[in-house]
Amino acid sequence: MKALNYSEKNVDKVLTVKDLEKTYPQWRKEPTKAVDGISFSVDKGEIVGFLGPNGAGKTTTIKCICGLVEPTKGDITIYGIDAVNDTRKAVSNTSAVLEGNRNIYWRLTTRENLEFFARLHGRSLKEAEPEINALLKRFDLQNKENEPARKLSRGMQQKLALSCALIRGTDFLLLDEPTLGLDVKTSKEMRAFVKQLTSNGGKTILLSSHDMNVVEDVCERVIIMNEGKILANDSVNNLKDIFNVHLYDFILEGEPKLSDLENEYEISDIHYENGKTKLRVSLKKSDSFYELVNHLQKKDIKLEEVKNLDKNMEEIFMNVIEKEGL
Amino acid sequence: MKEHIIFYSVVKKYFIELKRYFLNTLMSMIGIFIMFLLVFFGLRSFEAGTDTLQGSIVGFAMWIFAVMAYSEMSWGLLQEARDGTLEQLYLTPSTFRRISAYRVFGSFIFQFMLFTVFLGIMMVVTGQYLTLNAGVIILIGLTLLSIYGLGYIMGGLSLVFKKVQAGNQILQFLFILLLVLPTITDHQIIYFMPLSWGNHMINKMMIDGLSLFDFTLLEYLILLVNSFAYLIIGLFIFSLMERSAKKRGLLGHY
Repeated sequence: MKALNYSEKNVDKVLTVKDLEKTYPQWRKEPTKAVDGISFSVDKGEIVGFLGPNGAGKTTTIKCICGLVEPTKGDITIYGIDAVNDTRKAVSNTSAVLEGNRNIYWRLTTRENLEFFARLHGRSLKEAEPEINALLKRFDLQNKENEPARKLSRGMQQKLALSCALIRGTDFLLLDEPTLGLDVKTSKEMRAFVKQLTSNGGKTILLSSHDMNVVEDVCERVIIMNEGKILANDSVNNLKDIFNVHLYDFILEGEPKLSDLENEYEISDIHYENGKTKLRVSLKKSDSFYELVNHLQKKDIKLEEVKNLDKNMEEIFMNVIEKEGL
Repeated sequence: MKEHIIFYSVVKKYFIELKRYFLNTLMSMIGIFIMFLLVFFGLRSFEAGTDTLQGSIVGFAMWIFAVMAYSEMSWGLLQEARDGTLEQLYLTPSTFRRISAYRVFGSFIFQFMLFTVFLGIMMVVTGQYLTLNAGVIILIGLTLLSIYGLGYIMGGLSLVFKKVQAGNQILQFLFILLLVLPTITDHQIIYFMPLSWGNHMINKMMIDGLSLFDFTLLEYLILLVNSFAYLIIGLFIFSLMERSAKKRGLLGHY
């Protein structure tokens, strides 16, 4: 099994996880190994996605990072602070949304929740109030600020949970399934906001999700986990390149000679039908597509239709899981 | 140090939640009061003496105080786990033990206000008048430290084992026994049990009219050692249980 290592950039590391192992002891049963010696890091300003099926070890890893689960072995540092032995100090730089809408007090109003979590992190109301107002506005919760959280819709509760994590004022965020159970519109809004947090807000985010689209849309880098191990750790684009995923179907007019094309490009299938030529081409780089179109034009070959068959994150994920690595 | 902001936030939340559940709070108070009237008039029908009747008022009020203080620790913690907010309380620059202590402080303030109102109504209804002054409040506070210790133990157990309600019911009956223990026996055992010695001193002040200066240094020493010993043991066991819950990944479970 081969796992790709993300090329280390020479920038500040916000999170470093080294040889992390977590085995849950069980009464009169075999212990369960949830995380099996994983190592990775997250750089300042990055959004890293954790992908994996149920029981892959994503949530356990996130909970080990924020000190809610004690690791069996390994080192974790957050901003250089030892999060295993000095958890309190390390998590003072960290916020987390762990179970979506269950992270807020349903009996408190929207504003009371935000005020409570700001103060819980030692922030005075005077300091946090402008941010509370900005978050209420950003998430369209202004009209609901005096409503008890239990009366909000699921999407609003999720937005409030994220706001409560943000109002703590930390730069490192852990988001466990932040879009779970949200409708398409709210999920899109959340994704856009999460992306903004790193581009404008200077935050660093480690996000776990079942939703491949969320990871593909939001994250720069993906860590694929299964059975407690990291199977892949690379940028979304690199993963696509590795899987030769720039796949196109071309429909050409007539039955032109394609021998020179076959020498230059990887053509997996050619067949002729109703006076047309259908060919499937795998390109190493997405830029090669334009070269191929130019090539066809130069040869006076008329292009009738092109279909992009690029694999999405879901296909990449299935490939990695099935092959147990890259 | 920003600890005072965290303290304020926890106490404020406690009172907001009480307000939101005003009807529930009120109904439970009425239920407790009816229970008290049954005990008091039941005793009176057996032609119990004035001392016994006054003792029952103080004892009942202390029992309510103890049950509420203890429930705040164990039940409150389980409620947080159920709501999914318990883990968030671990993600602060403070410690969870401190946050629990702040909540308990909030509940002490509330319970004391209730205690005063209750006592006033009880005295008017029963015609038995008792002393309530700053000295009594100090003794109640010190006595309850041992109960908070027990609360931390049960809170810790509920972190790991989740369902410990049966233990809660046993403790509620145990509190009655501990409160009446000094009236049953003079044995030194009352120095070592939680609640008993403190309640004995409170009775002396409220019924016999003694002041704080009427107790000996040794009597205070027994109270302090007893209360702090239970509190420290409670905190120690809570830490062990908390560690075990973190090892087993049980903090967020309910």
